[in-house]
Amino acid sequence: MNTLALPAREARGMSPAAVAMWLLLPIALVNAVGFLWPVVNLLRMSLNESEATGALIDTVSLATWRNVLTDSFTLELIGNSIGVSLFITLLTLVASYPIAIYLHRSSGLWRTVLLVLVIAPLLTSAVVRTYGWIAILSNQGLVANLLAAFGLAPPRLMFNLTGVVIGLTEILMPYMILALLSGFGRLDPRYEEAALTLGATPLKTFWRVVLPLTAPGMALGCLLCFVLAISSFVTPKLLGGGRVFLLATEIYDQAIVTLNWPVAATLSMIVLVLFGAALALYTRALRRIA
Amino acid sequence: MDERPISPVLKAAAGLMFLFLLAPLIIVIPISLSGDTYMAFPPSSWSLRWYGAIFSDTRMTAAFSVSLILALVVTALSLLIGLPAAYALVRLRPLGAEVLGSLFTAPLLLPTIVLGLAILLVFAPLGLLGTFQGLVAAHLIVTLPYAIRVLSTALATLPIPVEEAAATLGAPPLTVFFRVTLPMMRSGMVSTAALCFLVSFDEVVLSLFMTGPRLSTLPVAMYRHVEQQADPLVAAISVLLVVLTLAVVIVVDRTAGLAKTFVR
Amino acid sequence: MMSIRPDEIQGLKQAEGFLSLRGLTRRYGNFNAVDDLNLDVAKGELVAFLGPSGCGKTTSLRMIAGLAPSTSGHIVVDGHDITGVPPYRRDMGLVFQSYALFPHMDVARNIAFGLEMRKVGKAEAQERVREAIALVRLSGKEQHRPAQLSGGQQQRVALARALVVRPSILLLDEPLSNLDAKLREEMRNEIRDIQKRLGITAIFVTHDQMEALTICDKVAVMNHGRLEQLGTPLDIYEHPSTAFVAGFVGRINRLAGTASGGLAEVAGVQVAAPGFDGRVEVMVRPHRVSLSAYAPPAGDDRYALAGTVARATFAGDILEYEVEAGGVLMKSEAATRGGEGVLAPGTPVILSWHRRDTFVYAAS
Repeated sequence: MNTLALPAREARGMSPAAVAMWLLLPIALVNAVGFLWPVVNLLRMSLNESEATGALIDTVSLATWRNVLTDSFTLELIGNSIGVSLFITLLTLVASYPIAIYLHRSSGLWRTVLLVLVIAPLLTSAVVRTYGWIAILSNQGLVANLLAAFGLAPPRLMFNLTGVVIGLTEILMPYMILALLSGFGRLDPRYEEAALTLGATPLKTFWRVVLPLTAPGMALGCLLCFVLAISSFVTPKLLGGGRVFLLATEIYDQAIVTLNWPVAATLSMIVLVLFGAALALYTRALRRIA
Repeated sequence: MDERPISPVLKAAAGLMFLFLLAPLIIVIPISLSGDTYMAFPPSSWSLRWYGAIFSDTRMTAAFSVSLILALVVTALSLLIGLPAAYALVRLRPLGAEVLGSLFTAPLLLPTIVLGLAILLVFAPLGLLGTFQGLVAAHLIVTLPYAIRVLSTALATLPIPVEEAAATLGAPPLTVFFRVTLPMMRSGMVSTAALCFLVSFDEVVLSLFMTGPRLSTLPVAMYRHVEQQADPLVAAISVLLVVLTLAVVIVVDRTAGLAKTFVR
Repeated sequence: MMSIRPDEIQGLKQAEGFLSLRGLTRRYGNFNAVDDLNLDVAKGELVAFLGPSGCGKTTSLRMIAGLAPSTSGHIVVDGHDITGVPPYRRDMGLVFQSYALFPHMDVARNIAFGLEMRKVGKAEAQERVREAIALVRLSGKEQHRPAQLSGGQQQRVALARALVVRPSILLLDEPLSNLDAKLREEMRNEIRDIQKRLGITAIFVTHDQMEALTICDKVAVMNHGRLEQLGTPLDIYEHPSTAFVAGFVGRINRLAGTASGGLAEVAGVQVAAPGFDGRVEVMVRPHRVSLSAYAPPAGDDRYALAGTVARATFAGDILEYEVEAGGVLMKSEAATRGGEGVLAPGTPVILSWHRRDTFVYAAS
């Protein structure tokens, strides 16, 4: 028998579980210090109160929650945020669907090029893209000057909700497109061909075959976009110009400007609750589709 | 693929929506070449002055260096921490691996505005606000989930017999890892590095909470600049950033395949 | 590695072969993937592990290679008990079903990997890699990556990579299952030739009885984790020791019957069944059943049965009849010859077969 010319060292006695523990230790530390502890701490902070002077009162009470949930300003804020986010989600879906279907049906190099065009915006900072929208929507921008060239009075497109909705829709489109694409796996062109040979018109085929098959992808994309819309901050801040109040902008202002941490924490918790609600709705919708 | 022609209606709709999607990126190119002192489209004159202005704006150049070094450090740490973790979760499968995997990717589910506030409240008393270490820690929390996900997928799709073959040929476990497993994960590593780099380099919200008056990242400096005045300076920087992003995307596509990295 | 004399393995049969498995067992919970496997392989022998998927043949191979732990039992190679030794110090050459070539290395570096691990000098390693490449007839492909090779070529690289380290045992795990039929036959003969030329002890895991019978010195038929029979291909085919072996290796007619007083009654025929009592299964291979218009002469040691043709299947080289006789359907097949017709269904015929071709097993 040949013997292996390897150092005759016995296998080390560490069990796989022990090795795994050591390998997971660094990430567990980062996760604990940077995620678990902060989130628990955030919940705890929402149970504190702050004085009228802004000083923090260390206590355990639901006073801040009560104040936030009875204040007409914050209630309107929450309602507005939900409404605007839903509207943006719907617009994003309508705008993304043709791109996703087109991408799904294209192939080869052309598909790669289109995919790069979808992903490149996703990888570009929201600040850059929001700045691009300022260039298009401001009163010295593309749209205003284009309309002026035809002698039309430009509408106000920036520093109001319109600008925020347009900008956010575009910014969320790549997420929606990728979610739709991932759900299009089930969409075999042969199904459509089958429907067409069975006498369905193209419109009927789309309505009865394509749309139901793509519903799971749509549900996923909508969940993603709603969640991202309600927590987005940069675009509402820059395109809203301080005149559009949404949950995310208010959290930032309370945390950094007003320094009312209990209120900021409570609003954050409300965002998380809305997340949970959206997720539950998504799960139910998915079950109904499937 | 099937050769069925794509209907002209769909083509037109997709084209229009692509235009909408890319409009804000395209428009920064002509604006960056503006000769005006304020932002207007179309510009009344053309010049390269704003590209020159970037390099004389010490705030922007300093912020760029911070962002670049930060993204490189965060990327290196993400690989260094993420690879052992992914290996443990996928290959050693300790008790509760599923739960741990979800926990480690959970920060991605949290909106950055909430995560930013949560980190702010914990880091402030520790004196980490406005420090480089604080920024690194905050960015790691959002890049590590990406690293874990992509590396886990890369590891899970590796053919195990290839590693077993190395073992039967006399390679001890560590040799198998470095000579066989790691080289086969090359494309997964490239994807991970690119993703972590871009996520860190583009991160605004967390950085807004973490940066101070003396320390700013490029996206934060641009945000503050746009908040006060929208002049073509930011357009010039944006063009450079888009070029940088495209370069990274092309590198990923060449080595790892774009669709594999981003579409799941 | 501990060296022990075979008689020192307490409570176990002596290790007789170059490779000896003693009571080798692999248990997953309540399920025995491999159950008390005892086997001896002589030096230079090519032994097939044959069985349906899930029979434990691959698990056994992986235990021999050290890639799967054994629950109990011993693996002894050349007098050394290697049971607890990690795979990288076992000195086995394993050819994987998927070839498992290193995708990031070219052919030469794939083959050199094991030599590198053994710290073989550069000049010698180069020479041995060259020899190994010549052995599997891949000269000129040294710089190719695995992805640039055909399935058959990848198979050859895998074989060369396993052989170049001169392992004590060559293990082949379904090495031909990913090749097309024509290439499979070519490769199986090539593996056989190389194995004989090098005189290396080898184990060949397969689910294909053809592969096992045609190239192996011995065949170990496995089922449900147990060794059903170990023997030469001729033994296995002509004297299957269990109903499973008879049914798995080759095609067969299975007839249910009842035995008493040394005779079994099946389909109205008395068949010798010494030592059997109660329900039995009587088996005979279709091509050993002949079909004629007349009964065979008496005292010819043949069993005969009258019936009618139920279905005729003409397959070019073979003509198969299904005959209804005595309330059962029995198959008879024969090589076709020119100038022969095909009998129509309903034609009365006599089936007959030799006593020695008749296998009797207790019904399970």
